[in-house]
Amino acid sequence: MEGKSHTNIVTEQFGSRARAYLESAVHAEGEDLRAVAGLLQGAKDARVLDLGCGAGHVSYVAARYAASVVAYDVAPQMLAVVEEEAKRRGLANITTRQGAAEALPFADASFDFVLSRYSAHHWQNFRGGLQEAARVLKPSGRAVFMDTIAPAIPLLDTFLQAMELLRDVSHVRNYTQAEWEAAARAAALTVVATKLGRLRLEFASWITRMNTPPVRAEAIRSLQQAAPAVVREHFAIEPDGSFTLDTLLLELARSE
Amino acid sequence: MSESASSPERPKQPPIDPRLLEILVCPLTKGPLEYDREKNELISRQAGLAYPIRDGIPIMLVEEARKLD
Repeated sequence: MEGKSHTNIVTEQFGSRARAYLESAVHAEGEDLRAVAGLLQGAKDARVLDLGCGAGHVSYVAARYAASVVAYDVAPQMLAVVEEEAKRRGLANITTRQGAAEALPFADASFDFVLSRYSAHHWQNFRGGLQEAARVLKPSGRAVFMDTIAPAIPLLDTFLQAMELLRDVSHVRNYTQAEWEAAARAAALTVVATKLGRLRLEFASWITRMNTPPVRAEAIRSLQQAAPAVVREHFAIEPDGSFTLDTLLLELARSE
Repeated sequence: MSESASSPERPKQPPIDPRLLEILVCPLTKGPLEYDREKNELISRQAGLAYPIRDGIPIMLVEEARKLD
């Protein structure tokens, strides 16, 4: 059987679903987007990188405040959606670039802000991606990473990764808060602020968005039904399969 | 090439904003890129690679780049 590269799998997986992500309420809204807006207040000269922009929800917020936003993603269909939507919203300061998080095509110290939301769990090289983010950040810059995270308890962690992989074959790993902090330190980034949250995922739309084959959606339901009480409680698994997971917002600065 | 020279079946690529090329480097070597207007590519001499530009979007992926002779 011919094997595909991870980049190909991510591109295929997300390419065909680009519009679903533009329209997804989970992605279009959130306290973390309001935090981004707060951070960019008054930063009218700022250059921003939206790392793993997906359908561009961070870019649309950032473009209202910053001088320029580079929307960067590995999936070209996502970038096409961002181009179209930026035009529709009259945001002329958004440009798009295609590439991988682990090998950024930007010069050192290019950006005042590197923002990344719901992206890192798809990267092939998590630590490499963070190092690249640190490299392209100006010395006085700020990086903000927002992602769904894994619980510190292995039983819960494994359960989450299994559900995510069954839903999305391009899933790599949700990291724990401790893993995030260690990777940030290794990339010479210092934690300035941390915010933990919870995100409820409605099962039907979560599955539809990714176009998960029925056999795998069924496997997720089977896993949920067989899960021990501690798992069901942590993820607040509901009768229809909807569940809630943990999120992390990390605001980082370059270490002295 | 003038703006009107493009054939109807293949629309002309939108031009690349030169200011945004300033911060763009080769993802492999982090070295400079040259814009080849004719071929609509970004050339990394150090890497010996040409990165394509499609629909105005530079594709900065090594696996999508053309090897230079």
